[in-house]
Amino acid sequence: MKKFSILLFILLIAFSNCESDDICLDSTTPYLIIRFYDADDPDTIKSVSSLTVWANEKDSIYTSEALDSITIPLNLNENSTIYKLQSDTEIDQLNITYDRTNVYISRSCGYKTIFENVAVTSTYNWIKDFTLTSTTIENETNAHINIYH
Amino acid sequence: MRISIFIISLFVSIVGFAQQKTDTLKLKQTYGLRVGADISKPITSFIDSDKKGFEITGDLRFSKNHYAAAELGYEDVITTEDFITFTTSGSYIKLGVNYNAYRNWAGMNNEIFFGGRYAFSFFSQTLNNYTPNSYGTYFEADLIEPNTEYKDLSAHWLEFVAGMKVETFKNIYFGAQINIKKLITTKEPDNFENLYIPGFNKVFSNDLGIGFNYSISYLIPIIKKTK
Repeated sequence: MKKFSILLFILLIAFSNCESDDICLDSTTPYLIIRFYDADDPDTIKSVSSLTVWANEKDSIYTSEALDSITIPLNLNENSTIYKLQSDTEIDQLNITYDRTNVYISRSCGYKTIFENVAVTSTYNWIKDFTLTSTTIENETNAHINIYH
Repeated sequence: MRISIFIISLFVSIVGFAQQKTDTLKLKQTYGLRVGADISKPITSFIDSDKKGFEITGDLRFSKNHYAAAELGYEDVITTEDFITFTTSGSYIKLGVNYNAYRNWAGMNNEIFFGGRYAFSFFSQTLNNYTPNSYGTYFEADLIEPNTEYKDLSAHWLEFVAGMKVETFKNIYFGAQINIKKLITTKEPDNFENLYIPGFNKVFSNDLGIGFNYSISYLIPIIKKTK
């Protein structure tokens, strides 16, 4: 009888502790990845010597940094995000539109948003050209936009 | 003197007779249907308003140490995780056998049992709300309240049961048991998952579950058999 209740107690402790799925370890909503290339030699990565990035009417994410790529979040409550990219004194505006789909991941991670039918327009001050590598943003393995300058 | 000896002998024989009678009674074992209810569920409902439910238990002794056992229940439970809140409601049935491993002294009817169950649940999940998970705080996602109801979901699983039953008053039993569960199949909702199943409780990542049951049951005596 005593041994049995000890067994029950051990089982109780063992099972109440096995909550390994309580920490979110999966990848969640992806950020937009932009890489900068040389406009004269489109296969060569070219850093922007002093880059400042901010979303419309928000604080800057990067301030006067030398970067060859940036990862920036998209607005999860609206179907478009406007980003301002400043190189030295010139400012260009990226207008990103998309459809949002929320995809179930797991108990601890909940849902992530993936972006489909992505379209981008840009002003051309310091940015010479850009290409959108995919119309779907669902992971962070590759750059989604290449900017030539 | 003679009279007093007679009286004493009579008394002894009466006592002896009475003893004899109880001895034969002790050898009789009651077979019958035992019905009860899980008393932990209404207590849990009272403490935690997110958890409502009841469970009826029953078992039928069909041999010296074997009992056909069943549990029948209903649950309506709200689960809150870090990024999601959902409601599960549905019924379940569990059928199986218990084996009593406890050797009672004559006249006692207690049990330490082990058993197995096949269980089936039929339920619905309602995704009450969620916040899309995004790292960083530059853009914060609003809470989305879809209240989507996923109906006609089901699950089958197996349980290993261990527990005890104690006859506290004549034919009234207090029981406690632990159930370790393993899912066999589930019908999952689209773009969501059965994270809680009535009768199974929380579904752990490896399809395992655990449950406890504290019951009061009454034995309806049907036949008394001599051992």
